[in-house]
Amino acid sequence: MSATTGPRHITNPFATRHTRPGVLWPLTSSAERRDVPALIAAVDKAGGSAGIEGPHGTGKSTLLVTIAAELAAVDRLAAIIQVRCRRDGLSAVRAVLRAAAGTTVCIDGWEQLGRVVGSATRFLARLRGCQLVVTSHRSVGLPLTVKTTSSLPLFTAIVAALPHHGGLIHPADLAEAFTRHGGNLRESLCDLYDRFEQRARQPFRF
Amino acid sequence: MTAIEPVRHSPHVMVHFCSPDRRYEPLQPIRIQYQIELSAGSTVQAIERSILWYTEGKGEEDLGVHAFERITDGATIAAAAGAGAFESHLPPSPLSYEGLIVKVRWCVRVRLFFEGGRDFVSEHVFDLGTVPAALSRAVP
Repeated sequence: MSATTGPRHITNPFATRHTRPGVLWPLTSSAERRDVPALIAAVDKAGGSAGIEGPHGTGKSTLLVTIAAELAAVDRLAAIIQVRCRRDGLSAVRAVLRAAAGTTVCIDGWEQLGRVVGSATRFLARLRGCQLVVTSHRSVGLPLTVKTTSSLPLFTAIVAALPHHGGLIHPADLAEAFTRHGGNLRESLCDLYDRFEQRARQPFRF
Repeated sequence: MTAIEPVRHSPHVMVHFCSPDRRYEPLQPIRIQYQIELSAGSTVQAIERSILWYTEGKGEEDLGVHAFERITDGATIAAAAGAGAFESHLPPSPLSYEGLIVKVRWCVRVRLFFEGGRDFVSEHVFDLGTVPAALSRAVP
Protein backbone atom coordinates (compact mmCIF):
# COMPACT_ATOMS: atom_id res chain seq x y z
CA MET A 1 0.00 0.00 0.00
CA SER A 2 1.23 3.48 -0.67
CA ALA A 3 -0.11 6.89 0.21
CA THR A 4 0.53 10.17 -1.52
CA THR A 5 1.14 13.06 0.82
CA GLY A 6 1.18 16.79 0.34
CA PRO A 7 2.67 19.61 2.40
CA ARG A 8 -0.14 19.52 4.97
CA HIS A 9 -0.37 15.76 5.00
CA ILE A 10 2.23 14.51 7.39
CA THR A 11 1.94 10.77 7.67
CA ASN A 12 2.68 9.73 11.22
CA PRO A 13 4.44 6.36 10.88
CA PHE A 14 3.27 5.38 14.37
CA ALA A 15 -0.45 5.78 13.59
CA THR A 16 -2.66 2.75 14.05
CA ARG A 17 -3.01 2.19 10.32
CA HIS A 18 0.71 1.37 10.15
CA THR A 19 1.03 -0.53 13.43
CA ARG A 20 -2.20 -2.48 13.89
CA PRO A 21 -2.09 -6.28 13.97
CA GLY A 22 -1.93 -7.68 10.48
CA VAL A 23 0.06 -4.85 8.95
CA LEU A 24 3.45 -5.85 10.32
CA TRP A 25 4.83 -9.37 10.20
CA PRO A 26 5.34 -10.76 13.73
CA LEU A 27 8.89 -10.87 15.05
CA THR A 28 10.46 -12.76 17.92
CA SER A 29 11.94 -10.97 20.93
CA SER A 30 15.32 -11.27 19.22
CA ALA A 31 13.81 -9.33 16.28
CA GLU A 32 13.76 -12.28 13.87
CA ARG A 33 10.82 -12.99 11.59
CA ARG A 34 8.51 -15.58 13.09
CA ASP A 35 8.11 -18.62 10.88
CA VAL A 36 4.31 -18.63 10.96
CA PRO A 37 3.81 -21.58 8.55
CA ALA A 38 6.15 -23.65 10.76
CA LEU A 39 4.21 -22.49 13.80
CA ILE A 40 0.93 -23.61 12.23
CA ALA A 41 2.52 -26.97 11.44
CA ALA A 42 3.56 -27.27 15.10
CA VAL A 43 0.02 -26.38 16.21
CA ASP A 44 -1.36 -29.09 13.90
CA LYS A 45 1.11 -31.61 15.29
CA ALA A 46 0.08 -30.73 18.82
CA GLY A 47 -3.57 -31.38 18.09
CA GLY A 48 -4.59 -28.15 16.42
CA SER A 49 -5.06 -25.82 19.37
CA ALA A 50 -2.67 -23.33 20.88
CA GLY A 51 -2.48 -20.49 23.33
CA ILE A 52 -0.42 -17.40 22.59
CA GLU A 53 0.58 -16.08 25.99
CA GLY A 54 2.40 -12.96 27.07
CA PRO A 55 2.11 -9.62 28.84
CA HIS A 56 0.25 -6.62 27.39
CA GLY A 57 1.75 -5.20 24.21
CA THR A 58 4.13 -8.01 23.35
CA GLY A 59 2.66 -8.92 19.95
CA LYS A 60 0.05 -11.56 20.79
CA SER A 61 -2.66 -10.06 18.59
CA THR A 62 -0.20 -9.40 15.77
CA LEU A 63 0.81 -13.05 15.81
CA LEU A 64 -2.80 -14.25 16.03
CA VAL A 65 -3.95 -12.09 13.11
CA THR A 66 -1.05 -13.35 10.99
CA ILE A 67 -1.85 -16.97 11.86
CA ALA A 68 -5.50 -16.31 11.00
CA ALA A 69 -4.52 -14.83 7.63
CA GLU A 70 -2.34 -17.85 6.85
CA LEU A 71 -5.18 -20.20 7.81
CA ALA A 72 -7.65 -18.18 5.74
CA ALA A 73 -5.38 -18.51 2.71
CA VAL A 74 -5.84 -22.29 2.84
CA ASP A 75 -9.56 -22.16 3.80
CA ARG A 76 -8.94 -23.35 7.34
CA LEU A 77 -10.07 -20.26 9.24
CA ALA A 78 -13.57 -20.46 10.69
CA ALA A 79 -13.53 -17.04 12.36
CA ILE A 80 -11.39 -14.55 14.23
CA ILE A 81 -13.09 -13.05 17.27
CA GLN A 82 -11.91 -10.16 19.40
CA VAL A 83 -13.19 -10.49 22.96
CA ARG A 84 -13.19 -7.20 24.83
CA CYS A 85 -15.76 -7.98 27.49
CA ARG A 86 -17.77 -10.91 28.81
CA ARG A 87 -20.62 -10.08 26.44
CA ASP A 88 -18.36 -10.83 23.47
CA GLY A 89 -18.21 -14.40 24.77
CA LEU A 90 -21.42 -15.07 22.91
CA SER A 91 -19.67 -14.30 19.62
CA ALA A 92 -16.91 -16.76 20.49
CA VAL A 93 -19.40 -19.52 21.35
CA ARG A 94 -21.39 -18.79 18.20
CA ALA A 95 -18.23 -18.95 16.07
CA VAL A 96 -17.33 -22.35 17.50
CA LEU A 97 -20.87 -23.64 16.95
CA ARG A 98 -20.72 -22.55 13.30
CA ALA A 99 -17.18 -23.81 12.67
CA ALA A 100 -16.74 -26.79 10.38
CA ALA A 101 -14.66 -29.74 11.57
CA GLY A 102 -10.99 -29.23 10.83
CA THR A 103 -11.19 -25.44 10.80
CA THR A 104 -9.79 -23.07 13.40
CA VAL A 105 -11.44 -20.38 15.48
CA CYS A 106 -9.01 -17.64 16.54
CA ILE A 107 -9.94 -15.78 19.72
CA ASP A 108 -8.12 -12.63 20.82
CA GLY A 109 -8.49 -11.96 24.54
CA TRP A 110 -9.37 -15.41 25.85
CA GLU A 111 -9.26 -14.46 29.54
CA GLN A 112 -12.11 -12.01 28.94
CA LEU A 113 -14.43 -14.99 28.38
CA GLY A 114 -14.25 -16.00 32.02
CA ARG A 115 -13.85 -19.53 33.34
CA VAL A 116 -17.35 -20.85 32.56
CA VAL A 117 -17.66 -19.52 29.00
CA GLY A 118 -14.02 -20.45 28.33
CA SER A 119 -14.59 -24.04 29.42
CA ALA A 120 -17.82 -24.21 27.41
CA THR A 121 -16.03 -22.87 24.33
CA ARG A 122 -13.28 -25.48 24.64
CA PHE A 123 -15.84 -28.25 25.15
CA LEU A 124 -17.85 -27.15 22.11
CA ALA A 125 -14.68 -26.92 20.01
CA ARG A 126 -13.82 -30.53 20.90
CA LEU A 127 -17.38 -31.56 20.12
CA ARG A 128 -17.35 -29.80 16.73
CA GLY A 129 -13.89 -31.10 15.85
CA CYS A 130 -12.52 -27.61 15.36
CA GLN A 131 -9.37 -26.06 16.78
CA LEU A 132 -8.75 -22.97 18.86
CA VAL A 133 -5.86 -20.55 18.68
CA VAL A 134 -6.23 -17.93 21.40
CA THR A 135 -4.34 -15.09 23.03
CA SER A 136 -4.14 -14.66 26.77
CA HIS A 137 -2.09 -12.97 29.43
CA ARG A 138 -1.94 -16.18 31.43
CA SER A 139 -1.75 -19.90 30.79
CA VAL A 140 -4.86 -21.34 29.15
CA GLY A 141 -3.78 -24.98 29.17
CA LEU A 142 -4.11 -25.65 25.45
CA PRO A 143 -1.82 -28.32 23.93
CA LEU A 144 0.72 -25.84 22.57
CA THR A 145 1.88 -22.61 24.15
CA VAL A 146 3.59 -19.82 22.25
CA LYS A 147 5.14 -17.20 24.52
CA THR A 148 5.55 -13.59 23.44
CA THR A 149 7.94 -11.18 25.10
CA SER A 150 9.17 -7.76 24.11
CA SER A 151 12.69 -6.38 23.93
CA LEU A 152 14.34 -3.18 22.81
CA PRO A 153 15.84 -4.88 19.71
CA LEU A 154 12.31 -6.04 18.81
CA PHE A 155 10.92 -2.54 19.30
CA THR A 156 13.76 -1.10 17.20
CA ALA A 157 13.05 -3.61 14.42
CA ILE A 158 9.34 -2.74 14.45
CA VAL A 159 10.10 0.98 14.15
CA ALA A 160 12.50 0.24 11.30
CA ALA A 161 9.73 -1.62 9.46
CA LEU A 162 7.34 1.36 9.65
CA PRO A 163 7.21 4.20 7.11
CA HIS A 164 10.20 6.47 7.60
CA HIS A 165 9.91 9.14 10.29
CA GLY A 166 12.12 11.62 8.47
CA GLY A 167 14.69 11.79 11.23
CA LEU A 168 12.20 13.15 13.76
CA ILE A 169 12.64 10.17 16.06
CA HIS A 170 16.06 9.42 17.52
CA PRO A 171 17.46 6.12 18.87
CA ALA A 172 17.31 7.59 22.38
CA ASP A 173 13.55 8.13 21.94
CA LEU A 174 13.07 4.42 21.34
CA ALA A 175 14.94 3.41 24.47
CA GLU A 176 13.17 6.08 26.53
CA ALA A 177 9.69 5.14 25.29
CA PHE A 178 10.33 1.43 25.71
CA THR A 179 11.58 1.88 29.28
CA ARG A 180 8.85 4.35 30.23
CA HIS A 181 6.12 1.90 29.20
CA GLY A 182 7.70 -1.15 30.77
CA GLY A 183 8.27 -2.93 27.46
CA ASN A 184 4.68 -2.55 26.27
CA LEU A 185 5.21 -2.19 22.52
CA ARG A 186 1.75 -0.74 21.82
CA GLU A 187 2.15 1.99 24.44
CA SER A 188 5.71 2.65 23.31
CA LEU A 189 4.50 3.17 19.72
CA CYS A 190 1.82 5.58 20.99
CA ASP A 191 4.57 7.46 22.82
CA LEU A 192 6.53 7.79 19.57
CA TYR A 193 3.32 8.90 17.82
CA ASP A 194 3.09 11.85 20.22
CA ARG A 195 6.75 12.75 19.87
CA PHE A 196 6.45 12.67 16.09
CA GLU A 197 3.36 14.91 16.12
CA GLN A 198 5.01 17.45 18.38
CA ARG A 199 8.20 17.66 16.36
CA ALA A 200 6.56 17.54 12.93
CA ARG A 201 4.51 20.62 13.80
CA GLN A 202 7.35 22.88 14.81
CA PRO A 203 6.94 26.15 12.87
CA PHE A 204 10.14 25.81 10.86
CA ARG A 205 8.92 22.49 9.51
CA PHE A 206 5.65 23.93 8.22
CA MET B 1 -0.65 23.41 -13.37
CA THR B 2 -1.29 19.78 -12.64
CA ALA B 3 -0.91 17.55 -9.61
CA ILE B 4 0.42 14.32 -11.01
CA GLU B 5 2.35 12.29 -8.52
CA PRO B 6 4.02 8.96 -9.04
CA VAL B 7 3.64 6.15 -6.50
CA ARG B 8 6.87 4.49 -5.47
CA HIS B 9 5.93 0.85 -5.75
CA SER B 10 5.32 -1.09 -8.90
CA PRO B 11 2.80 -0.93 -10.54
CA HIS B 12 2.68 2.84 -10.80
CA VAL B 13 -0.54 4.75 -10.40
CA MET B 14 -0.49 8.44 -11.28
CA VAL B 15 -3.45 10.60 -10.34
CA HIS B 16 -4.43 14.00 -11.66
CA PHE B 17 -6.90 16.04 -9.61
CA CYS B 18 -9.01 18.68 -11.32
CA SER B 19 -8.01 21.11 -8.54
CA PRO B 20 -4.26 21.70 -8.90
CA ASP B 21 -3.64 22.16 -5.16
CA ARG B 22 -5.93 19.23 -4.29
CA ARG B 23 -8.17 21.42 -2.14
CA TYR B 24 -11.92 21.19 -2.53
CA GLU B 25 -14.87 22.85 -0.91
CA PRO B 26 -17.85 20.85 0.39
CA LEU B 27 -20.38 19.95 -2.32
CA GLN B 28 -17.88 20.84 -5.04
CA PRO B 29 -17.50 18.44 -7.97
CA ILE B 30 -14.28 16.44 -8.14
CA ARG B 31 -12.87 14.85 -11.27
CA ILE B 32 -9.94 12.49 -11.20
CA GLN B 33 -7.89 11.18 -14.06
CA TYR B 34 -5.47 8.36 -13.48
CA GLN B 35 -2.82 6.45 -15.35
CA ILE B 36 -1.67 2.96 -14.45
CA GLU B 37 1.66 1.51 -15.44
CA LEU B 38 1.59 -2.23 -14.90
CA SER B 39 4.65 -4.38 -14.48
CA ALA B 40 5.33 -6.79 -17.33
CA GLY B 41 3.26 -9.96 -17.32
CA SER B 42 0.73 -8.83 -14.71
CA THR B 43 -2.94 -9.30 -15.54
CA VAL B 44 -5.55 -7.16 -13.84
CA GLN B 45 -8.76 -8.97 -12.95
CA ALA B 46 -10.59 -6.08 -11.33
CA ILE B 47 -10.15 -2.41 -10.59
CA GLU B 48 -11.75 -0.52 -7.73
CA ARG B 49 -11.89 3.26 -7.85
CA SER B 50 -13.14 5.05 -4.79
CA ILE B 51 -13.30 8.38 -3.00
CA LEU B 52 -13.26 7.95 0.75
CA TRP B 53 -12.30 9.47 4.05
CA TYR B 54 -10.52 7.79 6.94
CA THR B 55 -9.23 8.72 10.34
CA GLU B 56 -5.57 8.40 11.19
CA GLY B 57 -4.33 8.47 14.75
CA LYS B 58 -3.19 6.33 17.60
CA GLY B 59 -6.58 4.89 18.49
CA GLU B 60 -9.42 3.13 16.70
CA GLU B 61 -9.79 3.93 13.05
CA ASP B 62 -12.89 4.95 11.14
CA LEU B 63 -13.62 5.07 7.43
CA GLY B 64 -16.41 6.15 5.12
CA VAL B 65 -16.70 5.45 1.41
CA HIS B 66 -18.24 8.34 -0.53
CA ALA B 67 -18.01 6.92 -4.05
CA PHE B 68 -17.10 3.45 -5.18
CA GLU B 69 -16.88 1.70 -8.50
CA ARG B 70 -15.64 -1.82 -9.20
CA ILE B 71 -14.79 -2.80 -12.73
CA THR B 72 -14.73 -6.50 -13.47
CA ASP B 73 -15.84 -6.59 -17.10
CA GLY B 74 -12.91 -7.72 -19.24
CA ALA B 75 -13.32 -5.18 -22.00
CA THR B 76 -13.80 -2.28 -19.57
CA ILE B 77 -10.79 -3.40 -17.51
CA ALA B 78 -8.62 -3.44 -20.61
CA ALA B 79 -9.49 0.19 -21.19
CA ALA B 80 -9.47 1.28 -17.53
CA ALA B 81 -6.22 -0.51 -16.64
CA GLY B 82 -4.26 1.91 -18.79
CA ALA B 83 -5.96 5.18 -17.96
CA GLY B 84 -9.32 6.30 -16.76
CA ALA B 85 -11.33 9.04 -15.15
CA PHE B 86 -14.14 9.27 -12.68
CA GLU B 87 -16.02 12.05 -10.97
CA SER B 88 -18.35 12.79 -8.12
CA HIS B 89 -19.80 15.60 -6.03
CA LEU B 90 -18.14 15.85 -2.63
CA PRO B 91 -20.33 15.76 0.48
CA PRO B 92 -20.65 18.57 3.07
CA SER B 93 -18.63 16.67 5.67
CA PRO B 94 -16.47 15.36 7.31
CA LEU B 95 -13.93 18.06 6.60
CA SER B 96 -10.24 17.27 6.37
CA TYR B 97 -8.49 17.89 9.66
CA GLU B 98 -4.88 17.58 10.73
CA GLY B 99 -5.26 17.02 14.45
CA LEU B 100 -2.71 15.87 16.98
CA ILE B 101 -4.59 12.83 18.23
CA VAL B 102 -6.64 12.17 15.15
CA LYS B 103 -6.63 13.31 11.55
CA VAL B 104 -9.46 13.14 9.05
CA ARG B 105 -8.18 12.50 5.57
CA TRP B 106 -9.89 12.30 2.22
CA CYS B 107 -8.32 10.30 -0.53
CA VAL B 108 -8.79 8.83 -3.95
CA ARG B 109 -8.02 5.13 -3.87
CA VAL B 110 -7.26 3.01 -6.88
CA ARG B 111 -7.07 -0.70 -6.09
CA LEU B 112 -5.90 -3.28 -8.57
CA PHE B 113 -6.63 -6.98 -8.22
CA PHE B 114 -4.30 -9.37 -9.99
CA GLU B 115 -4.44 -13.05 -10.81
CA GLY B 116 -3.62 -15.20 -7.81
CA GLY B 117 -5.34 -12.96 -5.28
CA ARG B 118 -2.59 -10.32 -5.12
CA ASP B 119 -3.74 -6.72 -4.94
CA PHE B 120 -2.21 -3.26 -4.99
CA VAL B 121 -3.65 -0.16 -3.39
CA SER B 122 -2.70 3.39 -4.28
CA GLU B 123 -4.05 6.27 -2.19
CA HIS B 124 -3.87 9.95 -3.07
CA VAL B 125 -4.80 12.40 -0.35
CA PHE B 126 -6.70 15.63 -0.95
CA ASP B 127 -8.34 18.24 1.30
CA LEU B 128 -12.04 18.81 1.78
CA GLY B 129 -12.63 22.22 3.39
CA THR B 130 -10.10 24.49 5.03
CA VAL B 131 -10.05 23.62 8.71
CA PRO B 132 -6.72 24.87 10.14
CA ALA B 133 -4.32 22.19 11.34
CA ALA B 134 -3.88 21.78 15.09
CA LEU B 135 -0.75 23.23 16.61
CA SER B 136 1.48 21.39 18.99
CA ARG B 137 1.33 22.59 22.59
CA ALA B 138 4.87 21.60 23.50
CA VAL B 139 8.07 21.46 21.52
CA PRO B 140 10.49 19.10 23.26
